[in-house]
Amino acid sequence: MVDPNLSWLFWGYAAGWLLIFGYLFWIAQKERTLRKKVSELRDAMEERWKQKKA
Amino acid sequence: MLSEFDDRPAIPLWLLAAAALTMMVHLYLIFMWVPTEATMGIVQRLFYFHVPAAVAQFTACFVGGIAAILYLVKRDPRYDDLSLAANETVLVFGLVNVGLGMLWAKPIWGIWWTWDPRLTSSFLLLFLYGAYLVIRPAAPVESRGVICAVVCILGMADVPLVYLSNRLFRTQHPSPVLGGGPDSGLAQPIAATLFFGMFTIMLLWWCVLLVRRRVARLERAAEDLTRRSHELEDLRSY
Repeated sequence: MVDPNLSWLFWGYAAGWLLIFGYLFWIAQKERTLRKKVSELRDAMEERWKQKKA
Repeated sequence: MLSEFDDRPAIPLWLLAAAALTMMVHLYLIFMWVPTEATMGIVQRLFYFHVPAAVAQFTACFVGGIAAILYLVKRDPRYDDLSLAANETVLVFGLVNVGLGMLWAKPIWGIWWTWDPRLTSSFLLLFLYGAYLVIRPAAPVESRGVICAVVCILGMADVPLVYLSNRLFRTQHPSPVLGGGPDSGLAQPIAATLFFGMFTIMLLWWCVLLVRRRVARLERAAEDLTRRSHELEDLRSY
């Protein structure tokens, strides 16, 4: 016989793991975006330095 | 500026492997090994995630708070980055802790929530760290670190209150099962699973902290580059 409280256990663990791994996924996405932004900013800076020197 | 951490993985491989392995063992212990508790039944197994999440949350509060104090003393932005990373994990693990507590409370107490000292102080702790994350982007850049450090230290000061609340006051929340006097204590398999769970969730928290700290450093690098780019633009316009 299935314990009536099994669904609480399931939802507890599901919500907990989802929250932690969802957060990890979100910061991984954020890292990717920031890396791209930093790389673009670096390139733009280098370009401006070249223009300034010229 | 970025080259020092550009290519290294945020989490060392050994830590990632240890976290993954212990997580699997922890799940095995919870669902296959530890016996079902006699009074509450199967739902008591939430205990093995609820308490370790609270331990990770409190550790994060102290790491964030100590990093904030170090930032105030040394004004080294790396401490501010660490503090931000730890404080965000306080909220994540705190939500897991409180959320699991609510899902455990409903079938056992018959209610989702009650404003007893333990639950209220836990709510206050989450609220303080939520406020930290709202204040941070709104604060002026030059004083942001200091303002955030003060809020973070206030948050850390709430931790002993949460911890002691069910020792000092009568609460709906159960009395402490560890170090709570002569009537407290756990059966050996329950204690073993709990301590293993604490170790596992601490490893996971450490991984999350390292990734978030890397992102905080990238955010700072992007901010610095944007500012310098604007300065260069201003110079060109003269």
